[in-house]
Amino acid sequence: MEELNWWEKEKKSSLYNEIKYMVPEILLLRSLKEENPRLWRLSFPFHFGLYLLIGTLALLVLGAFSMVLEVSIAPGKGAFASLLYYLTILCGFLGLILGTGGTAALLWRRLKDPELANYSAFSDYFNLVFFLIFWVAGLLAWLFQDHAFDGARAYIYSLLTLGGLAGGVGEGHTFLGALSIVLSSLIIAYVPLTHMSHMFMKYFLYHSVRWEDTPNLKGGKMEAAILQNLGFKPTWASPHIGADGKKTWGEIATSGPKEKK
Amino acid sequence: MKAPLVKPADISKPSKRLAQIRAEDLPPLPPPYEDFNQKTLTELKEEKIANVEAFLDGTLAIGIPKPKTKEEEEKYVQAFLSGLRKLFEKENNWAFLQPLLLSMEHCAKCQTCSEACPTFEMSGRQEIYRPNFRSEVLRRIYRKYVKPFGKISAKLAGDIDLNWTAIARLAELAYRCTLCRRCASVCPIGVDNALITHEIRKLFSQEMGIAPKEIHEKGSVQQLRVGSTTGMNPNAARDSIEFIQEEMEEITGYKVEIPWDREGAEVLLLHNAGEVLSWPENVGAFAIVFQAAGVSWTLSSEELGYDVVNYGLWYDDVQMARVAVKHAEIARRLKVKKIVIGECGHAHKALTVIADRVLTGDLNIPRESALVLLDEIVRSGRLNLDPSRNDFPVTLHDPCNIVRAMGIVEPQRRILRKIAPKFREMTPHGVDNYCCGGGSGFAIMSGHNFSEWRTLISSRKKFLQILGAFKDEPLEVPKYVCAPCSNCKGSIRDLLEYYRARERSHLYYGGLVELIVNAMTGMKKPIVKFDEA
Repeated sequence: MEELNWWEKEKKSSLYNEIKYMVPEILLLRSLKEENPRLWRLSFPFHFGLYLLIGTLALLVLGAFSMVLEVSIAPGKGAFASLLYYLTILCGFLGLILGTGGTAALLWRRLKDPELANYSAFSDYFNLVFFLIFWVAGLLAWLFQDHAFDGARAYIYSLLTLGGLAGGVGEGHTFLGALSIVLSSLIIAYVPLTHMSHMFMKYFLYHSVRWEDTPNLKGGKMEAAILQNLGFKPTWASPHIGADGKKTWGEIATSGPKEKK
Repeated sequence: MKAPLVKPADISKPSKRLAQIRAEDLPPLPPPYEDFNQKTLTELKEEKIANVEAFLDGTLAIGIPKPKTKEEEEKYVQAFLSGLRKLFEKENNWAFLQPLLLSMEHCAKCQTCSEACPTFEMSGRQEIYRPNFRSEVLRRIYRKYVKPFGKISAKLAGDIDLNWTAIARLAELAYRCTLCRRCASVCPIGVDNALITHEIRKLFSQEMGIAPKEIHEKGSVQQLRVGSTTGMNPNAARDSIEFIQEEMEEITGYKVEIPWDREGAEVLLLHNAGEVLSWPENVGAFAIVFQAAGVSWTLSSEELGYDVVNYGLWYDDVQMARVAVKHAEIARRLKVKKIVIGECGHAHKALTVIADRVLTGDLNIPRESALVLLDEIVRSGRLNLDPSRNDFPVTLHDPCNIVRAMGIVEPQRRILRKIAPKFREMTPHGVDNYCCGGGSGFAIMSGHNFSEWRTLISSRKKFLQILGAFKDEPLEVPKYVCAPCSNCKGSIRDLLEYYRARERSHLYYGGLVELIVNAMTGMKKPIVKFDEA
């Protein structure tokens, strides 16, 4: 709209620019860093830890697939296997450390900062405690029982092969390993039910609301949708609206207000 | 001393006042305005508030009459709930349902929005003005009283009681936010607290008939009845503009013909009628520029055709749509190629952006900002301009609706860089600007002590920004705040008057087009006058 006769100009949109903006926004929480750096210092480790853990899961799936193809993932078994082995450990370890630290710090801040505590309810604390238990269980499982994530990889191998056992690993279940798997399954099911689904909904909030500026052009799709909406029959009760449940939005918008003082 | 922490649930607990504006909480003003640092709100007069609810914060935007009986209170509660349900129904709120739902469901309560809000900051961080406070109140009411399993979710996600006290306070509280949407622009998730405020206002107006009289009865209702929110009928509008035509000719020596109702003109110029009454030089300057540049244009003398304001934008979708349709019908009758919106920020948003989801078929006539057309005229070289005629310090105020909402940032700057050699920016500016404090109807609302609240609180940040922009200039040098928006000019006028800034800092204000005419060679006298502005 900065251009003369903007409606005659071709609407420019760039997927590249969108990605260029959204990748640092999602991965590094750029706008939080700019607008609320104090909170970013706590929120970034939590979110980045979560991304690293998702990355670890992807590496574990890749490793399990390799095992299905009879490529064992261990040091000294070739460059690919070694790389996958060490990358999984690095990614998983960093993810667990960042996630645990970030969640604990966010919980502490929410409890201690009156500006946050004043708006926090049971569910806000529950969400963070739930995540903290999950992180701590994962961290302890890694620390005491599954340093190389072999057990986790064997579990995924077992899922892929419908119950198959990877040779040498995964034969004995550990409590912390099992707890981590149960908690991660619960979290995957729980997050979409809460405001934490902003991780995914952010796409709609940015793409379909904040950046949505498709103009309504004559004969276009937008106009057809508007015409359909103008056919709805509102029931707002204020006298000046003049809605009776029979008149459409279109009819009401082209009539005068009832109260003409 | 920091203002006490009010909880969202406190809104329904009876008390004399939920927040108290205190001079010591307000961020201090620099010299030579220190004497205003002791100023606080004048107390509401007991006799004037005997019959209205005044238990929010010591000022009144609406002044809702007190219910006489418990039954009447209950009737209001039920009406509120009915309206709340309608906000979430496609049939009743198709235009805003998606962003409303997303903003209701996905707030992480990180309070990043608060730091961006000038009203919250300048009030001394009054909790009730925090952008998320009223949103959280609405979320809790919605979850508890509208959604399934409300009582359980209230225990888990935050409880609140719905009663008359909460409703009356929420209605007033919806008019303590200027809808500048600075909060929305910084939210890392994309939640829009200003939209939630807007929806609360709609609920009260569209379901319960509650809105400030300046924007409803004397605003959109009057505009649809007589043609203008100023009360001007078509004859008065023509007389006033003919008078402006003569005045401009006398001042500038430039013979200008203002065309009326010229069918087939390229441009239908729609002014805010407030310009005609309060800033006639703006209307005259547009006529001079358009004529000098050879623009094919016309004004309309039809009802609403000489007043582009659309107060429905702030509080009522139906009133917004009715006014927008009238404007489009006038353009259709005149067979113009496009509507150009004068220096009026909220009209820009209403007629260009929001009406884009209302106007269809032959009513969908292209709409354009005057700033864009003026930029094209200035750049084209069609005017003989001498920037040395504007050899005084100038700063630019960015109207939220034109800049943040519509992304029109550069045209006005290109003009100023060409015609005002001493132009400097405010900090921050562009899409990060601060509201003038008069947004969303505040500039025209002045009941009780509301204009004082605006000047002390919602406009305070703008005043500090203006002072900051000119901090290196001697006090005695005349300075010009360029505000290309009628509402912004209204609140800046009140701001400069209240703080006696004309006397103390030689601060003046005006529009953009006046500066263009002021720079035009061949004008007998300057139209920007520092002794009379």
